[in-house]
Amino acid sequence: MDNNAKDIITVKGLTKKYITYKRGSGFKESVKALFVREKVPVIAVNDISFSVRDGDIIGLLGPNGAGKSTTIKMLTGTLYPTCGTIEVMGYNPTKNRKNYVRQIGAVFGQRSQLIWDIPPLDSFRMNKAIYSISDEEFEERVSFMAKLFMVEDLIKRPTRVLSLGERMKCEFIMAMLHNPKVVFLDEPTIGLDVIAKHNIRDFIRRMNGMGTTFILTTHDLEDVEQLARKVIIINKGVKVFDDTIENLKKVLGAKKIVQLTLLKEVGTLDIPGASILERESPLKMTVSVDLERMPINEFMAKLSEQCAFSDISVKEMPMDTIITHIYQSKGIEQPDK
Amino acid sequence: MIRYLKIYKECIKVDFATASTYRLNFFLNCIIMLLGDIFFPLITVLIYGSGAGFEGWTVYEVLLIQSVFTMSTAIADMTFHGIMWATMDLVRNGGMEMVLILPVDTMFILMARTFSFEGIGLFAGGAAIFTIAILNIPAPSVWEWLQFLAFFISGLFVMMGIGLIMAAISFKWVGNSRIPEIFDCIRSFGKYPQSVFPKAILVFTSFLIPVAMIAYCPAAALLGRGNMTMFLMILPCVIFLLFGIFLYKYMVRLYQGVGG
Repeated sequence: MDNNAKDIITVKGLTKKYITYKRGSGFKESVKALFVREKVPVIAVNDISFSVRDGDIIGLLGPNGAGKSTTIKMLTGTLYPTCGTIEVMGYNPTKNRKNYVRQIGAVFGQRSQLIWDIPPLDSFRMNKAIYSISDEEFEERVSFMAKLFMVEDLIKRPTRVLSLGERMKCEFIMAMLHNPKVVFLDEPTIGLDVIAKHNIRDFIRRMNGMGTTFILTTHDLEDVEQLARKVIIINKGVKVFDDTIENLKKVLGAKKIVQLTLLKEVGTLDIPGASILERESPLKMTVSVDLERMPINEFMAKLSEQCAFSDISVKEMPMDTIITHIYQSKGIEQPDK
Repeated sequence: MIRYLKIYKECIKVDFATASTYRLNFFLNCIIMLLGDIFFPLITVLIYGSGAGFEGWTVYEVLLIQSVFTMSTAIADMTFHGIMWATMDLVRNGGMEMVLILPVDTMFILMARTFSFEGIGLFAGGAAIFTIAILNIPAPSVWEWLQFLAFFISGLFVMMGIGLIMAAISFKWVGNSRIPEIFDCIRSFGKYPQSVFPKAILVFTSFLIPVAMIAYCPAAALLGRGNMTMFLMILPCVIFLLFGIFLYKYMVRLYQGVGG
């Protein structure tokens, strides 16, 4: 990405409030709710400001219910903000919606643009008509992206017979047929296996290399680590971090979480940089490893010297732990903690 | 405009592809829709067969009203009523975002995407009864046919207006399965000769929610009973449609979405 690139997205004081209704559980509460419902104001997004440069990949991280999806929906113009301003490529998404959405693409990991009963290729033709894509451009884009995803044959089969990973690849093709300048991705790798995730990430990198700006929401830190240059972390509707991935790693201390299933109970681990976080049972434990002090390969070697294990998995730090680290690094109290 | 026609053409092709995928379901739905709506004119035949009936109206005149109603319902079901079901569903499951990210009019794309060939059986049934009725009344003049056409189109405006208002309500009244029943209840006033209703209901069916225009007015035109009041009723029909469009567009802005 060009370091002198201009801001393509500017968000200032973005806030989304809405009213929901509180209803207790059980029969008595259900009967009561028939007549009286308590209004509960919810602040889904609270005074968020940030900017995104042309050609960047931004990761919008946060736990479930943090306000990531609400933010991205406001950026796509599908939800109206309560207050604040959004400018994407000079457009205000809530005004002149039709012209604005013509310039953007969106993939919502839990929703589909594909038509269930017909092949993805026919769904692509629908978008061809909607975006007024010429025959030549359509053929060129479909064949280029289908080749990139290795789905040349799959796009001719009915959508309902495709796997989740295959469908997601087709969703990407559908969203990028009109060659959008900015693409919003809401949990694009949710529910996908390792290979499918790899394919999707590879595709995003390739398209980014061709100049497309991506904004992705996820609670998978791996997505962000592998794709994003800048990370924005949202917690309970409030922005808690907005910096480069390198600076996030500095805050977190480059840690990995290792889950172990032991063959024999172990008292302590004498490995520098490793500490036991939790013992789920005598034979199951979760260990935190500081990669700056102990590279993961050396940790593995030392671990096999000290204990016998039947299963091991290396994971990213959980989102709530990341949030706690960020609040601690700023020296402020974490809300509701 | 040409772009919108191309989109509509694609939507028709998609519906045809879906119908051909589930052939049995398609034929069954056509037959069920036909039987469901054709049952009503058959009752009219039975009522008149037993010596009873609507005073001042012959069986063929009543059948004419009801066949026009059936054809109008079939056209509405095929072309724009799907927006009611689609909006209800999309608002409830949060899928409206997938429509709102498209650079087309939300109302148009939902109507186009819900185009359904299944109403074709119902239209054929209505057209058959219409032909029988028209052959058993004095032949209408060209002027009466033109009046019929104008009133029939105005009736479709009313149908579309009711459908849009019901769809708009579903943005606030999320997941209420009774909305289509309210819709059916309102438009069913258009199935009968309006002279059977008291004056208060006539004002309602002529000017407030002009359902009389769906079938009664077009049939009356063919029977040579068209009058100036019916021409005046075209205005509330247009206003009713415009109100439906305005309300739907306004409610889209209030869409809140659902959790991720």
